[in-house]
Formats: sequence, C-alpha cells, structure tokens
Amino acid sequence: MKRTLIFVAVIAVAIAGYFFYQSQSAVAVPAAASVTEFLSGESSDAFARATVPNNIEFPRDLGSHPDYQTEWWYYTGNLKDETGREFGYQFTIFRQAMAPESERTADESEWRTSQIWFAHFAISDIEDGEFYAFEKFSRGAAGLAGATAEPYHVWIEDWQVEEQADGRVHMTADAGEIALDLMLTQTRPPVLHGLGGLSQKGPTEGNASYYYSLIDQTSVGTVRIKDETFSVEGHSWKDHEYSTSVLEEGATGWDWVSLQFDNNAKNALMLFQIRRDDGSVQPESSASWIESDGSNSYLKAEDFELEITDWWTSDATGIEYPAGWRLTIPEIDLELTGSPKMNNQELVVSAVYWEGAVEFEGTLAGEPVTAEGYFELTGYTAP
Amino acid sequence: MIEPTSTSLWPLLMTSMRRATRRPFQYVLFVLGVALGVAMMVSVDLANGSATKAFQLSTDAITGRATHRLVSGPGGIDQELYVQLRRELGYTNSAPLVDGYVNIPEFGDQPFRLFGVDPFAEPPFRSYLGGVGAGDGGPGQFNPNALTTFLSEPNSLFVLSSLAAENGIPLGGEITLDRAGEMTTVTIAGLLDPQDESNQRALSGIVFADISTAQEILRMQGKLTTIDLIIEDEADQAAIEAILPDGVRLENTAASSNAIQQMTAAFELNLTALSLLALLVGMFLIYNTVTFSVVQRRPMFAILRCLGVTGGQLFQLILVEAVILSLLGSLIGLVLGVILGRSLIVLITQTINSFYFVVNVRSVIVDPWSLGKGVFFGVAAALIASFFPALEAYRTTPGSGLRRSTLESKVEGLLPKLFGAWIILCAIGAGLLALPGRNLIVAFAGLFAILIGFALVTPPVTVTLMNWAVRPMNALFGAIGRMAPRDITRSLSRTSVAIAALMTAVSVIVGVSIMIGSFRGTVVQWLDQTLQADIFISPTSATANRVEGSLNPEVVSALTEWEGVTASSTARVVQVFSPQFDRPITVAGVNGDVSQGQRPYAWLPDGWDHDDVWNALATGDGVILSEPLVLREELSYPPEPITLETNQGAVDFPVVAVMYDYSSDQGMIWMGSDNYQAKWNDTEISTIALFIDENGNPDDMVDDMRRTFAGRQDLVINSNRSLRETSIDIFDQTFAITSALRLLATIVAFIGVLSALMSLQLERKRELGVLRATGMTLRQMWQLSFLETGLMGLVAGLIAIPTGFVLAWVLIYVINVRSFGWTLQMDLQPAYFLQALAVALVAALLAAIYPSFKLGQMIIASAIRSD
Repeated sequence: MKRTLIFVAVIAVAIAGYFFYQSQSAVAVPAAASVTEFLSGESSDAFARATVPNNIEFPRDLGSHPDYQTEWWYYTGNLKDETGREFGYQFTIFRQAMAPESERTADESEWRTSQIWFAHFAISDIEDGEFYAFEKFSRGAAGLAGATAEPYHVWIEDWQVEEQADGRVHMTADAGEIALDLMLTQTRPPVLHGLGGLSQKGPTEGNASYYYSLIDQTSVGTVRIKDETFSVEGHSWKDHEYSTSVLEEGATGWDWVSLQFDNNAKNALMLFQIRRDDGSVQPESSASWIESDGSNSYLKAEDFELEITDWWTSDATGIEYPAGWRLTIPEIDLELTGSPKMNNQELVVSAVYWEGAVEFEGTLAGEPVTAEGYFELTGYTAP
Repeated sequence: MIEPTSTSLWPLLMTSMRRATRRPFQYVLFVLGVALGVAMMVSVDLANGSATKAFQLSTDAITGRATHRLVSGPGGIDQELYVQLRRELGYTNSAPLVDGYVNIPEFGDQPFRLFGVDPFAEPPFRSYLGGVGAGDGGPGQFNPNALTTFLSEPNSLFVLSSLAAENGIPLGGEITLDRAGEMTTVTIAGLLDPQDESNQRALSGIVFADISTAQEILRMQGKLTTIDLIIEDEADQAAIEAILPDGVRLENTAASSNAIQQMTAAFELNLTALSLLALLVGMFLIYNTVTFSVVQRRPMFAILRCLGVTGGQLFQLILVEAVILSLLGSLIGLVLGVILGRSLIVLITQTINSFYFVVNVRSVIVDPWSLGKGVFFGVAAALIASFFPALEAYRTTPGSGLRRSTLESKVEGLLPKLFGAWIILCAIGAGLLALPGRNLIVAFAGLFAILIGFALVTPPVTVTLMNWAVRPMNALFGAIGRMAPRDITRSLSRTSVAIAALMTAVSVIVGVSIMIGSFRGTVVQWLDQTLQADIFISPTSATANRVEGSLNPEVVSALTEWEGVTASSTARVVQVFSPQFDRPITVAGVNGDVSQGQRPYAWLPDGWDHDDVWNALATGDGVILSEPLVLREELSYPPEPITLETNQGAVDFPVVAVMYDYSSDQGMIWMGSDNYQAKWNDTEISTIALFIDENGNPDDMVDDMRRTFAGRQDLVINSNRSLRETSIDIFDQTFAITSALRLLATIVAFIGVLSALMSLQLERKRELGVLRATGMTLRQMWQLSFLETGLMGLVAGLIAIPTGFVLAWVLIYVINVRSFGWTLQMDLQPAYFLQALAVALVAALLAAIYPSFKLGQMIIASAIRSD
C-alpha cells in the first residue's frame, strides 16, 4: 500500500510526539512542527531505495530490511464471533531508522542502535460502537524488538507475530484491558503489488517501496474486551512494505483500502490514492485486482475512480474524514458503494489517523457482490 | 491599692522604650545573645537540611514515579531480565537504568551521577526528557534532532541547561567524564530545561545519557544497575517476583531512599546537638541581661507598684520585652544563620560524601521550616531565661525600695539548693545515659542535664573559691586584692551567671577537643597496627574514603609479580544487601590480612587467635564483622551467623571474629576471597596491598610503579606512609565540620561572655564612683577591674576542666558509640585544659578593658549622683 508518504510523516510525528506528550499538554502542535526538521535532519541518500521490479524473495524478505529507512508489517482483519458479533482489528509493527546501520565495534553496548520500532494496535467493537487503540515504542536492540525471516517473527516486546512449527502464524497483542490472540493460516501465495513488488509512489526513481501482501488469511482466536473474551473467526490481510523517502513534494496524505470479496472467485482489491496539495491525485497512485490464485492486475490511477459520498467529523480531534465512497473500475466492470462499519475508528495516539473496518456492496460484471476490508485515511487535518 | 482600669501594657512598654534609648547596651546584649544562638542553630539546620534536601530531590527526580525497583549485588543485573520482563510479562511499567558516578572537570570537578536511560521506557517514570531544548528556542521546546543524536551517537549527553551555561559550555560543546580515572570526552547533545525550581535543583547533580552510552562509559555492557518498576497490584508483584533470578531483589523505592537517608541521621543529630549548645550559652546571656534589667529597674518598679501597677503586669512587661527583643535577635540570627550555613554546607557535604553517599549540593536551600524553628527556639529560650527575672519583677513590693541586696541575699539562700540541683541533674543525666538502647536523643538529653547541672553548681563553687581567694589575694594585692573576690560574691546573681556561661562554653571546647583528639589518636594507632603492607593500590574514585570500581586484571598481575614483591593481599570491596538488617552493607572479599597479625580484635571465639581467624576465612564460610556493625545492629556476643543476599540466594555466614574498624560507621564484613567469588561470581579486584622484601625501598618502588603505569589515571599507588597520611587527611577533613562548630561555639561564647562581663563592669559605675570619690586611683581601679574579671575567668576555667572532662567522657563512651559504633581510647592531654583556662582568662581580661577605659573617663560627681 501506499501509506508511505504520510507514513513517514506519521512516524516522525509519532516519535516526536511520544517523547513530547508526557511533559506538556500540547501534543501535536510542537511535535508536528518539528517533523520536517526531523525528516530533513538525516540524509536519506545513505539508505537503500526501492528501484528494481521482481526483487522480493521468500522467505528471505519476510524479515526486516534495515538498509531501508522505513518498514512495516501491517495486519488488518474482519472477525466475527459465533453469534455473528463483528470486530475489526489493526495490528502494525513499524521500523524507522534514524541513521543507516554502521559496523558494530567490539565493546559497543547491545543497546546501541539507530532503529526505532513502534506498534499500533486497535480493536473495533462494531456492535457496541467502541474503538480501542494503543501503541508501543521500543528501540530495535537488546532483543526488545525486531523481525526475522526464518522462522518468521516480528515483535516489539510482547506484541508479536510468530510463525509456529506447523507454518501457521500466531499473533498476540495484549494492552491490558484489550487483547487479541489469533492463529493465522495462509491460503494463497503472496501478492506482489506494482511491478513485481515495486510499488511506485511518485515519478522520481526510488520514490517507491517494495510491497507485497498475504491476503485472505484464515484467522481464528480470541478478542478480549475488558472482562469479556470472544472466540472469533475471520480473515486477515497482511501488508509488508519497506522503502526510503517515497513521497513526492506536495503530497498531503493518502486513502488506502483493502477489500476481500465474497464471490466464488474470491477476488480481492488493494487500492491507494495519494492526495496532493493542489487537490489532484498523484498519478502514480495504483491498485491491484487480485484473483483467487494470487495473480493480480496492476491498475493505474486513471483506471479507477474513488468518489467520497459522505463525511464524518471526529469529536476527539475535530478532523473531518471521508465516511462513504463510490468506487468504479470500468476495466473490470466493478461498481461499489461502501461505508465504515462504524464511524469512530480514529487512532489518537502519538499519530492521528483513521483506520477502520469497512463494508462495500455493488456489482461485478453485472453480478451483485459484497466485500469487507479496511480503509486507511491519513493526512486529514482539522479545519 | 487601686486596680487599674485598663490592662493595657502600652504605657509600661513606653517606659521600656525610653530605657532602651537611654541605655541601649543591655538590650543590644540581649539581642546578641539570641542572635548568636539562633544563627548557630539555623546554620546547622539549614546545612543539614540542604544536604538532605539535595539528596531527596535528586533521589525523587531519579526515582520519578517508580514504586519499586529491582536491584542486585555487585556486577549489576543481567539485562536479559529486563528483556524477559518486557517480552514475557509484557510489563510496560518498567525501565532499565545504568548509572554510576563520574567527575566532570569542566563542571568544577564535582561528582555527578551519570544516569543512563532508555528514552522509550521513560515516559511512565520521568518526564524531563520531554523538555529537551536546543538551547536556542523557548524552554521545553522539543528537539527531535537532539533525541536522535542522544540515541544513536556514542558519547552524547543531556545536561541541565543552567549547569552548562554556568560553566560556559554551549550546546554541542564537549566535556570530560572522569570515571575512576578513565577519561571519556562526551558531547552535549541537548539541554534540559525543567520549568520548576525543584527539578532544576534536583537535576543539577545529574547528567543523562542513553543507556547504551552509559553502559559503554561505565563499562557495564550487558548489565543494568537497576530496573525501575511501577507496581500497582499484588498480582503484578507476584508475577515479577516469580521470574527473579537469585541475587536480584525487589525493593520498595521509598523504603530504600529512607534507609539511605537514615545513614546520616546520627551524624546530623550530633551537629544539631552541638549547635544547641550555642543556644544554651545564649540563654545564660539572656538570663544575665534580663536579670540586670530587672534589678536596675527595681526602684522604678517599686514606684509603679505604688501607682497601682500589679505584679502580674510587671511580669507580663518583662516577658513582652523578652518576646520583642528575642524576635529582633532571632531575625538577625536568621540572616547570620543563612550566611553561616553557606560555609557549613561545604564541610557537611564533604563528610557525607566520604562516609555515606554521594550528594551534590550546590546551594543552601532556605527552608522556611528551619527558619521558623530558629525563631521559635530563639523566643522560647528568651522566655525561659526571662522567667525567673520576670518572677522577680512580679514579686516587687511597693516598699522594696532601693535595696539591691534583696536579690543577692536571695541568691545566697539559693546556694545549697543549687548544689542540690547539680547533684540531682547529674543523677538524672547519668540515669538517662545509662538507659539501655541506642537512643541518641536520650543520650543528648542526659548530656545536657549534666552540663546544666554543672552550670548551676557554678554559684556555690564560685562563692567557695572566692572565700578561699580572699586571703591569698590580700597577700598579693592588698586591699584591692581583698575587694575583688568579695565584689564577685556580693553581686553573685550576675557574676555567677556570666561565669556559668563562660564555663559552659569553655567546657564544650574542652570536651569536644578531647573527643576529637582521642578519636584521632585512636585512628592513628589503628592505622599503625592494621596497615602493615608496604604498598597499596586502589582505583581512583569520585569521593574520598570510598572504593569504587575495580583494577584492571593486567595491572593486578603485573603488580603482584613485581620484582621485589614478596607477598600480596587483594580485596574486592562491594555493597551487598543484607536481608537480616534490611539494608546494603559493605563486604570485602580478601585473601590475607594486611595487618600481619597486629590487628586488635574486639571479640574472638574462645581459644582462637589471629591465625585461626584468617584460616577460617581462607578455607571456609567464616566472616569477620566490624565493631560498628555489631553495635549498630545491637548484636550480642558471640554473634549469630550473618545473612547476606548472594547470587545463590540468601546465605548464612558464621562469624569468626569482630574487629575494630574506623573506616565506616555503617559496618563492614570481611570474608575470604574464594568464598566471596563463589557466592557472587565476581572475580574483580578492588585493591591490592603488597609486601616487599626487607631490602627494598617502598618509595622507590612506588615511583617505579607510577612510571610504569604513567598512562593510567585510574590507579592510585600509595606507599604505607603516604596512605597513612592520606587516611589522616580524610579524618581531618571529616572532622572539619566538628572543628568548625567548636570554633563557632568558642566565638559565640567569647562574644557573649565579653559583653556580659563588660556590662557587669559598666553597671558598677556608681559603686566605682564612690570608691574613686573616696580616694581610689585610676590605676587601682584598672587593677580592680582586671582582678575581678580575671578571677571570674579563672573560676570559669577551673570549673570547665571537670565539666569538659565529663562531657568528653560522655561524648566518647556514649554518644560516639551510639552514633557511630566506634570505640575510642580517651586521650587526655594537658594542652586541652590549659587551652580552656587560657580562653577563659583571655576572654575575661579582655572584657575588663573597655569598661575600665570608660569608667576612667567618668565624672565622679555625676557617677555618684543617684539616678
């Protein structure tokens, strides 16, 4: 996905905000003011850049890529308990390098690192309309946080996603009152977005990410909300993306969506659209239309239209977010309208953005379809 | 008698004010007496309080919101425990810390705490990292670049912005961290600008580094000093305790900082007691002046009584005067006290740093509570001292007229009672001192009772001595010589108080001098006996009298195999937690004794000798305790085994000896180095003592060694002689505060007595006028003055000798033992007593000069005219 641009900004804000918010009341303003300084402080030239198609290899690339400045493992999913009660979840582990890796010296402390790791964890309790969001920060050192490819394991302290002996993946995130414990089973080969996994975000060479997804993973486990524990089932979508400096100047944010269709072909869609300060859409915005065998078509910005049909204003931040969409992709004869399963799925942690469970319905080649998934909205600000 | 219609004291006070303008001297004396006493008390209180407060603030700042912490024995905690807490228990209310002490030459070469934190774990605990400014923007403005540097650049530090500014170091500037002689150049990557005063103060002795930098500078790779925790319920506590390896302990932060502070309690109480002595002397002065003012106003009071003023009103008048004057005196005392406190704090900090814990005190914290206490004590002392004179005023009858002798005859009637009071007070004092237990306040109460007893016996003793003196004085000086002692006896109500004040002050000088002298003598002898090795090597440390860090293993082997070295003894000195005493205690793992059998023991098992003890240490679990430990913890003989927390859990160690030790009042434990290494998995060496062959010259060898290790600033190599000198220097430094207080007490007494005697002489204007009128020459008058004050000084000095001796005895055998657990050999030197006599005499004689000069100029006719 495309969250790159804003995400770098979000990360910087998050890091800055994290240190700031304990000491003063004004969280976002001074922190945000220093984001540009933060980003410009470290030359990104020293990091590797995503430039080559078909560069992703498995299982090698499941782990971390410290040569790139920014990386994330992004899980979202739609779950139901036996009574049909719906939940949504987001669990993301981010890695951000403040400087390129240097050679370790003999008596260097194991705590020395330039890698900052952090995680966001959110549960949407659709029936009660409650949204819970948490974050965690750590340095990528002393074993506190990291990611390995074989076996696949991404963790920040006790929040983690870990491959089991049988090849399934165990996800645990416990924030005290709210916790998630899921077993994920892969059902399809990885989807490589863009050109063989090279997802361009702007016209400049290197303003791109390596990006693949593991979609439609069968998910079974529990969601704990305060005193109640729900046995749930559903499907999860994992994005893994790594990059360095992906955003073009003038980009203000993005809208990203992943949808899993209920049709026999088990189609899926990933779409991102980068917004520019002049109101236009970044031409490199793109989408992937995925078939049941994992093959996908690379759709360009001119191939689809995403229209906002409704808005919702957050009580917490005053920010206005899109809350209804009409999506048309003529090439595959897809026409959908959709909306959030609940409006308040805004994360107000060190960074502020909207990431929530959504449902869509419409027609695909004339046949009615429904889909559910996750929408992400970044870069929206209060008036 | 007509009852006055108004009970207002105002008209009476007006008479006092008129008197104050006409005869200010008495009032000045009163104010001075209060001011000096209050100044002493307040200065000691402020200095103590500032040290405590500085410690508390920095502890609080460092503890933050932590309720508990994990700590371990020497070597620190394996950092994996923290990773386990975070990854297995998901315990986010935890923060790893790596800290130690460094000296910073650029910051006045003071010890600073290098505090290594993980900024990601900090927010629940401490908030000041949020206020890292770039030094250019507004305060508290967050600077992400600074944090990036802090985290990723080696040797980056955050310091208090005012600390950097004071020392002229800009942001990005470099300073040197001296850790036990190892120098590291570090860069100031950020300036902390806490908004509130107390955080400013608290952080002024701390420099912050990322935990990685701290591990590198302090050479603690893989280790943590502590893990801070916020524990809110017992389930969490149980979960954490369940994963603790042996040797790691969960402690309550409040309890442990309290325990550390308790270390200095006895020391501070001693200083306070010493300062109270000044107030006691001040009380005598106040009593003296108030008595004077009552006696002098007796005729006026008699007239007032005739006019219908009640005795109660006169009583009130005296007390109200006392309150007003003592308030004035107290205020002056407060100002003086704050000024004096600034000097005392330096001395107190020195002692605390060498004996107890490191505290960086940069200024006197003026605590309103201390000031309030000073005023309270000043006024209370004045009221107590004025009570009897006020009673005297109350009893004034309209007919008592001009008879001054009333009071004197009363005093004479009091003499046997005073003698009785002495016996009773001494008995009470002895009883208090004999009470079992280690209560210091009781002991000081006993000490004060005895001291006051001796002061009360001064009048009867004076009378006796003066009666004896008449004959020899007559023989020596004729009629004038005969007059002098009789004059003193005749005005006993005033002379005896001045003598008592002088005596008290001088006896304190004698007592404290004997105590310090005996202490020093004992320590010198102890050093002579125990330091038998020829050369001693230790790491440099941030403070005197404290062994920190360890010696490089290469250095250790090079030194022990040095040509000419015949034997060596190493020691590992660490702090270990004792569950038995619920506090950390210093443990030394040693191989061999540096005293070569010369060391005296306070206790040995029956039939054991030195060799048995050291064999038991070398081959088994046996430990030696220091005497202060036994006394402090009130252990009985023979001592039961001692429990210590080791890396294998709590272990009991049998006690094989108790030995004298003057290096720590907190107590020490020695054990064999094999035993130590096995229990704590720690093979570091802190110090080495070398024995060289008979023909070798230790000084030459020390020079050779210093040359060889010239590049190493982390080594201190001392010959036996220079180590002894250093040790005595530390001793003297430690007692600098006591000596300073003794000096202050002397000055207070000197000024007080000087003024009391002076006023005594000045008040004799009329009497001397009569004598002059009847033919006394100026010369004879001078002679009389000197004889009188000289006699008074002599009496004070003479009584001060036994009093001082008793004081010294109590200080040495009760106060010192209870405060510090040290057994001292009393060392009486004639000098102490001669010095006391000299001080008393000089003060007394000096006091005669100004009045005699003044009286010499008087116009006889006006002097004898009745007021």
